[in-house]
Amino acid sequence: MTALIELAGISKSFAGISVLRDISFDVCAGEVHALVGENGAGKSTLIKIMGGVHRADTGEIRVNGELMHFASPRASAASGIAVVHQELLLFPDLSVAENIFMGHAPRTGWGALDWPQMRRRARELLDRLQSHHIDVDARVGSLSVANRQRVEIARALSQDARVLIMDEPTASLVEEDVQQLLSIVRLLRDKGVGIVYVSHKLPEIFALADRVTVLRDGARVGTAPIGELDERKLVSMMVGRPIDQLFPKQATKIGAPLLELRDLGFGSVVRDVSLTLHAGEVLGIAGLIGSGRTELALTVFGITPATTGEILVDGKAVRIESPQQARDLGIAYVPEDRGLQGLVRPQSIQENISLTVLKSLATGTLIDHRKEEKLARDSIAKFGIRALGPRQIVRQLSGGNQQKVVLAKWLATEPRILIMDEPTRGIDVGAKSEIHALMSALAARGLGILMISSELPEVLGMSDRVLVMKNGTLVAEFDRAEASAEAVGAAMTLANNASNRSGEAA
Amino acid sequence: MSRYLVRHESILAILLVLALIVLSLQSDRFFTVDNLLNQGRLMAEVGLIALAMTFVIVSAGIDLSVGSILGLVAILLGVFWQNVGLPLPLAMMLGVFVGGLAGLFNGFIITRFRVPPLIATLATLALYRGLAEGISQARSVRGYPEWFFVLGQGEVLGVPTQLWIFLACAVIAAIVLGISTFGRATYASGANAVAARFSGIPVDRTILLIYTASGLISGLAAIIFVSRVSTTRSDMGTGLELDVITAVVLGGTSIFGGRGTIIGTMLGLALMQALKNGLALAGVKGDGTIVVIGLILIATIIISNLLRRESDG
Repeated sequence: MTALIELAGISKSFAGISVLRDISFDVCAGEVHALVGENGAGKSTLIKIMGGVHRADTGEIRVNGELMHFASPRASAASGIAVVHQELLLFPDLSVAENIFMGHAPRTGWGALDWPQMRRRARELLDRLQSHHIDVDARVGSLSVANRQRVEIARALSQDARVLIMDEPTASLVEEDVQQLLSIVRLLRDKGVGIVYVSHKLPEIFALADRVTVLRDGARVGTAPIGELDERKLVSMMVGRPIDQLFPKQATKIGAPLLELRDLGFGSVVRDVSLTLHAGEVLGIAGLIGSGRTELALTVFGITPATTGEILVDGKAVRIESPQQARDLGIAYVPEDRGLQGLVRPQSIQENISLTVLKSLATGTLIDHRKEEKLARDSIAKFGIRALGPRQIVRQLSGGNQQKVVLAKWLATEPRILIMDEPTRGIDVGAKSEIHALMSALAARGLGILMISSELPEVLGMSDRVLVMKNGTLVAEFDRAEASAEAVGAAMTLANNASNRSGEAA
Repeated sequence: MSRYLVRHESILAILLVLALIVLSLQSDRFFTVDNLLNQGRLMAEVGLIALAMTFVIVSAGIDLSVGSILGLVAILLGVFWQNVGLPLPLAMMLGVFVGGLAGLFNGFIITRFRVPPLIATLATLALYRGLAEGISQARSVRGYPEWFFVLGQGEVLGVPTQLWIFLACAVIAAIVLGISTFGRATYASGANAVAARFSGIPVDRTILLIYTASGLISGLAAIIFVSRVSTTRSDMGTGLELDVITAVVLGGTSIFGGRGTIIGTMLGLALMQALKNGLALAGVKGDGTIVVIGLILIATIIISNLLRRESDG
């Protein structure tokens, strides 16, 4: 096989800080080459160098054996390299066809846009991706995330890409869509496209990749055919130390009921949800996006107060109309969207952590800065937050460390009921296992944890019980022993209401 | 963030010192105790409102109606005292109270109906000014008793009365914004209202209180204004909001919210007033002064943005 693109001895530093050191990397026609590593390992920078966004300080890039100097993303695209970014760069108000041909639309002899040709070619490209159901005239904003991603891939292919770089393409997809995406990637590979696949999700890498390159702290740890690796070995290459278990939920003594929901509802998005969460228990909630899992959490937490049913904390009926009330009842919510809901990113670690406990840090109404700083220092030590200090701006931290700040600020309220919505989305393996270990330790201390997750292995590995939501209500319940990927997956997509429910929890 | 603010304020302080030196070279009447105290007197109304406006803008809002509230309260003071026949102290309190109500109404529209602050207060700018003109019927009120002028024309310990009031309010505002839980709620609401709400901060109540305070302090400024010029007219305070916003933004408060300090606003105010007065004394016409203030505003923002980018990278 000949290399479509070949990088040799690539180094790059920003403002004197070295982010890539002597990296060699290549992709051949018809192969999937996975690029893995923790956040901050240098994957993004390497992608940006291939995509023409950054220029390497030293080293060579060859495309089909020819030495190249990419001055801009446009130059890189002209050489047949296309990048599908993690956050999709589409125009929501334009049509699918317009998005696919943005910047290189076919023209008529008069220089006007050749609409019939544009629509026809858009149709062909989507058909090649087995996406016959996407209408080329649909507004992109009206499509699901999975379909938007296909539009983005079609856009890459429309420029005759020989090398397709995919940056965490499954980060915001649900399981079903992930499988379909993987089959599209295989399809492209079989047609001779060389694919660089960046992902944190190990099962995908083992399902898809031909070769794997691991980066750590800006250096290449190694490149190996997938056949020579197993999960344990790959993780230890990424993290630099062996990780015993990815989901270390230890068996704990399940105590008294902490939180009971009785026929809880909010409008039509959450309907008749009844469940009981006990001390020391991790209760996993699985379900597709849009099944009402997050909406249930928002209702319990008082963001969207319940319209029907009741909530009991410690067996006593309570009204929760606001997050303040929820917090004062000992409920904490680690939200789904870290950047929007979890953190005030332009502020410091210290200011973020104290936000939930301002009153207890204040004498009268004036904040005691020494207490505040001590809380932040203690949290940084306790949760292993990698930061320069309490005054570092949260935005500058990696995803995993940001998530630890969210956890720290909520654990500062000393909650007894912890709701975690996608607790490890978009964070690297090392931080992920730290957060799982922490959840396990919290449960052992008697907290009840309600965990919402789209990652089935996480749900199965961490939960004592698994509940499945669909169309705003609970449709199935499994004990740890009986929860298998097949059973839970089937309940998420197939189950009719109440047909699979093995019994009311309360 | 704190590092950046220190820098912005240092730039302002340096600019202020430079301006003072240059202006005092231009005219020997500029750098005299009498002139500076008199400038303090003239600055007090804009200054008072700028304190509240700092909170408003830090919370990612804007209040365009402050000048109209000032006009409305000024008119009502005259009406309550002369036409209704209330004792003057009561009329003063009632006026300030109406200012607070006007601010509360702004806050109510913004928090309850999710009207963007720019639109809400643009509407009430017209509404309150219209009310003021309708009530006054183009008549002015004069003949206030002698004791009333202490507020706007008198002195305490050799310093203009309203300057004392302004300084007291500034100290309180600095403490509240700088180290109180309310101040922290203001910053958090301005930087990320969703995250603030998800953290148990009563965002809507904070916003409501801020706009109410803005109305109250505009009412207080109205009383001082009337006392200073000894008459009441319905066009009082027209365009005042622009001076106030300029001072606050010059002081380093981000128009996008989440960032700003009272110290910065004070420096911004001082720089603006020094330029106005100093340039006038140096013989520059009014329009020239506005041009200089505009240029300085743009320059400070560009310099501090550049420095910030450096410290972020």
